[in-house]
Amino acid sequence: MTAKATGRKPSQPLAFLVPAMAIMLVFFFVPSVYNLVYAFTDWSSFKSSINYVGLRNFSNVLQNGVLLGDLKVNLIYAVAVAIFQNLFGLGLALLLEADTRINRFARTMIFIPVLMSALAVGYIFQALLKPAGSVNAILSFFSGQDVSYAWLNDTSWTLLWLTLIHSWKWMGLAMLIYLAGLKTISAEVLEAARIDGVNRWQTFRHVKFPFLAPAVTFNVATALLGSMNSFDIAQATTGGGPGQTTEILNIFIYRTFGQGLFAQATTMSLVLVIVISLMAFPTIIFLRRRERVL
Amino acid sequence: MSRIRKPLIAAMAVALLTAACSDPGAGTTDAGSSAPASWPAETTKLDGVKLTIWAAQNSNTVAKQVAADFSTATGAKVDILTVPDPYEQSVQTKVASGDKPDLAFWQPTASQLTAINAKQNLQPLDGAPFIEKYTPALKDATGILDKTRYAALVTVPAVEGVWYNKEVFAKYGIAATPKNFEAMVTDARKIKAQGGVPFYEMGGEKWATQWWVQVQLADAAKNGLWDKVNKGEEKFTDPTILDAIKKYKSLVDEGLFNKNITSATFVDQGKALLTGQAAMAIQVNTFFSQLQAQSTTAELNKKIGFFPISPGGTVGTNIPDQSNALIAFKTGDAKREAAARQFLSYWLGTAYPEFVKNQNTVSIQTGVETPTTVPDALKANAASIGESVGSMQVLAIVNPDLYLNLANMLAGQATPDKVASATQAQFDQLAQAIGAPGF
Repeated sequence: MTAKATGRKPSQPLAFLVPAMAIMLVFFFVPSVYNLVYAFTDWSSFKSSINYVGLRNFSNVLQNGVLLGDLKVNLIYAVAVAIFQNLFGLGLALLLEADTRINRFARTMIFIPVLMSALAVGYIFQALLKPAGSVNAILSFFSGQDVSYAWLNDTSWTLLWLTLIHSWKWMGLAMLIYLAGLKTISAEVLEAARIDGVNRWQTFRHVKFPFLAPAVTFNVATALLGSMNSFDIAQATTGGGPGQTTEILNIFIYRTFGQGLFAQATTMSLVLVIVISLMAFPTIIFLRRRERVL
Repeated sequence: MSRIRKPLIAAMAVALLTAACSDPGAGTTDAGSSAPASWPAETTKLDGVKLTIWAAQNSNTVAKQVAADFSTATGAKVDILTVPDPYEQSVQTKVASGDKPDLAFWQPTASQLTAINAKQNLQPLDGAPFIEKYTPALKDATGILDKTRYAALVTVPAVEGVWYNKEVFAKYGIAATPKNFEAMVTDARKIKAQGGVPFYEMGGEKWATQWWVQVQLADAAKNGLWDKVNKGEEKFTDPTILDAIKKYKSLVDEGLFNKNITSATFVDQGKALLTGQAAMAIQVNTFFSQLQAQSTTAELNKKIGFFPISPGGTVGTNIPDQSNALIAFKTGDAKREAAARQFLSYWLGTAYPEFVKNQNTVSIQTGVETPTTVPDALKANAASIGESVGSMQVLAIVNPDLYLNLANMLAGQATPDKVASATQAQFDQLAQAIGAPGF
């Protein structure tokens, strides 16, 4: 049908799409529709019947100051992760650009955290960052004095440490994409730059970086929007504490669901979907527009 | 072709949506049947029957021996499955998605029985042979929702109160345990003045923070505080509860607590009391179990004591917890449901004396003696039950996250007023969800 409209014959039978579509339908489309429907009901663990309640959940959720507080935490988290993950990824890509044996080994090592379970990463850092953990032990050794800083119990800075952990876990992926971007820059362009006598910083600023625009789009968008949806690292390290200063929205949703308030939890996740969509479109449009300069 | 397909897709969508609107946890059993169930003889043969018990990290060994003995006696296979913490949340989530065990450890309070939708999901245990065996103070103390019994108490319910280090009290010249809350604070000031740490709180793991507010509400609770809260006639933001929160905050600000109050853990708290680093901790029985795991009865008798406390005297605040009781689910399989009931009557029947001895715990049955090896503090704790009053979890219709809001206060992120209003907001939301009138 679509083929007829565009006047082109598809190279494969459309039936090939069925398995992928079926998976999309069951695991993505249907849950999304449920998410929308349940947000308007009073579904809870307390009773068996589920009734339509209109916008009650939304007004409850919005009146409750926790949601807005958590959204703020979530936004700070996402922006910080987007910045750190890209800085680390780009830095590593530039550092490990040449195809030497050592670089290849280093790339593999740096990619390993990407493959690790985020919960496991969280628990490892929780152990490392305890007041009596290894990080403080190392700092004590080098500084010659007793360091007993509670990394995960600081109401002002713990959020920052969490974004660094998150960025550390995912920087390998950003690095890989930046590396791929760097590989697409043709040797002639770089050679022309060299003949013009530009230094390394100028090469990066005026030649390499503009060519990396598509990689930046992908990396910034996935880091920003992906970390809006984060849960595991914060849950495993702080569980939202101290004093809810690291309580990102998904932890609140999890907590509300655990209270038996299933409909309210669903409403919040719907709010999260809306917020992410509102962020996604302008971000992606802006980044794509940057690419057009090429 | 698309002409057929469109209505078909539409029909499918409608079917999916209507399916979505029924609770997957509801199952097929009818909610209305409350006819007294039969209670099979304790050792009726059960070959080929398999029972599953859900337990938490801190209760998964409680039933182990009983389950093994039951298997030998009846031929039934009993599996004890550990559900990850936070236990209550995990269980509720599982049940909501239609997964049910035959039995589970569960906090037998009205609010938690409501949370698991007892009427729909649980077998009524009225008429069980073990009910008459309970000591009078405990018989109807808990496990009951809307006049139907849904939980079987197996160990003595926890009481919130003060666990103290006798040696530290002696060191600072405190001869007798205080007779009310203010007297306790006076003693605390005396300890602080001499350079000691009067109280130890585990703010890093949050959950114990609520005991401080709850013990201050004991007298009010006797006078029906929670009934009024349940009807929306009194709120957390009204003076009774708000003042208790403020008092807690002022004691912390005064420096009567450990310095690392915001990061200290449950384990730290246990160590601090046992080593005499701090004089007192307001806690429940699991705290003492932790001490028991680290030392001997003789040492505990020498060092650790317990006294209940309330503003006007020594009224304890009881809070049965998840390791104290079991619930039996309606699974729809009559044979397994009967086997689950049989397991409970076996446990609280023939097996009970052995169980109490194994667990080294206080007996809750009139015909069974408490082993002499049970530490004094635990006996003192159990003795306070008769006079005690129910906690928020026991007497309120729902259980808001008071502890979490208090932990935020300790971390400097909320004022007492904010704690009260946040807790009330959540209480309203939960009360509305269970359909309580007035919310």
